[in-house]
Amino acid sequence: MIKVLGVHKSFGSLEVLRGVSLTVAAGEVVVVLGPSGSGKSTLLRTINHLEKADRGFVAIDGDLIGYRRRAGKLHELKEREILKQRKDIGFVFQNFNLFPHLTALENVAEVADLASARHFLERVGLEDKASAYPRQLSGGQQQRVAIARALATRPKVVLFDEPTSALDPELVGEVLDVMRDLARTGTTMVVVTHEIGFAREVADRIVFIDGGVIVEEGAPDEVLDRPVHDRTRAFLSKVL
Amino acid sequence: MTSSGTLTPMSTKDDDLASSPVVPARYPWRWVGVAFVLVLAAQFVHGLVTNPAWDWPTFARYFTAQSILTAVGTTIVLTVLGTVLGFALGIVVAVLRMSKSPFLSAVGWTYIWAFRSIPLIVQLLFWFNISYLYSRLSLGIPFGPELVSFETIALISPMGAAVLGLALHQAAYAAEIVRSGVISVDRGQLEAAAALGIPRFRQFRRIVLPQAMRSILPNAANEVISLFKGTSVVSVMAIGELFYQVQVIYGRNARVVALLMVATVWYIILTTLLSIGQHHVERYFARGDRR
Ligand SMILES: Nc1ncnc2c1ncn2[C@@H]1O[C@H](COP(=O)(O)OP(=O)(O)O)[C@@H](O)[C@H]1O
Ligand SMILES: [Mg+2]
Repeated sequence: MIKVLGVHKSFGSLEVLRGVSLTVAAGEVVVVLGPSGSGKSTLLRTINHLEKADRGFVAIDGDLIGYRRRAGKLHELKEREILKQRKDIGFVFQNFNLFPHLTALENVAEVADLASARHFLERVGLEDKASAYPRQLSGGQQQRVAIARALATRPKVVLFDEPTSALDPELVGEVLDVMRDLARTGTTMVVVTHEIGFAREVADRIVFIDGGVIVEEGAPDEVLDRPVHDRTRAFLSKVL
Repeated sequence: MTSSGTLTPMSTKDDDLASSPVVPARYPWRWVGVAFVLVLAAQFVHGLVTNPAWDWPTFARYFTAQSILTAVGTTIVLTVLGTVLGFALGIVVAVLRMSKSPFLSAVGWTYIWAFRSIPLIVQLLFWFNISYLYSRLSLGIPFGPELVSFETIALISPMGAAVLGLALHQAAYAAEIVRSGVISVDRGQLEAAAALGIPRFRQFRRIVLPQAMRSILPNAANEVISLFKGTSVVSVMAIGELFYQVQVIYGRNARVVALLMVATVWYIILTTLLSIGQHHVERYFARGDRR
């Protein structure tokens, strides 16, 4: 399904990803944990080619993202082709990034027809807010619209970059409920979050990143309750 | 202990506080300012009405004369064409200037540099006189055969030269206004659009431009209003716009002040209409901002 292989990424002299490999099966929910600055966002952004990896590659269902293989060489795709590939990858941002001049329905309908836009708003429980502008919605509602929008291109996988970190504590639950529902209905998801409870309950697998490498991965109870590495233990002792 | 002005602990006197009348702060100097301005305004109006040198009867005779109305029409046509063509070309130049291709970006930069450097009046006179420079315009391969050719005089009338000059000049300023609007749009908006796979042109038209309009509009309205009055510059090309027409008339009858007032009042009326239009357009683009 998703295959990330040996991805390296530097910003100037700062090497943020130092050889990350990760496979996510169809319908699987992978939660990525790690301290701030460890490269979690960069990893997600490399998967949908918002950042171009310096080395290594990302493939979804066997299609390389951003490149075409021909005669043993990798040819960079044109921007237009990359944009087309991104329809297979939903992305939910920490600060929603809804289009403020469009209503909730228009935000979703920007990438789908009206009928399916309505369907996806219904899916996140916001059909009655269709004609509200983002500023008229609470943070939790805005993030749910953003999730509906990310689903509207009918992606094969949805990436979440700290979807609840910008929310007031009492609004976190409604967003996690929507994500839980997606997980239950077989959506393939990669979720960066600090919500350990959610990770334990929903994740099929937890990946712990530190310093641009995957330090440890496994089933939630293994990683959360019996971490092998000191760095994982140190991190968990801070967030649990 | 209950007399006013004495400090009383909050805990025991909360009820008193809640029922005490509030005396608003007074600003006596504001009233002095208002009085001063009113006196000045009254003097000004008094002068306008009583001083015969303003020559209101002549003003009234010419204000809606056919020749003046035609000239107002020409001024409006110049403004509209200058604005529409100028901003259309300005958007193109702004897109070039922001292009990732260094060549296209340099082309955009050079255009803006060139047309901001040349005074409008010089540029207008240049277009007006271009038929001396190139009597024929032709399309063909450089140093090779000519495909089609035109008489420059036939192609570029004085009015055409004026529109061309105004539009080219306006485009340089419009490009910078559009660019400043575009770079004021939050980066996250472009990332979201890119993550959704929205094609580039559609990103610009549907996501970036409507948001950029918030900061483009006040500046653009400034430009339109200044272009509107700036059209008076083309009077050097003997085009019958408002300012040229009043000059012609006071050249004949020497009623300079009255005729300048005719032009001024028309400029004020039309600028007012533009400002009202600006208000409504700005409200439209602020629609996501209402709570
Ligand atoms: N565009 C960028 N330019 C320079 N440095 C960046 C950029 N994006 C991220 N970084 C740096 O890369 C490191 C990892 O960032 P990030 O992937 O956002 O971490 P995380 O999401 O795990 O907190 C940080 O030190 C950050 O400052
Ligand atoms: Mg991050």
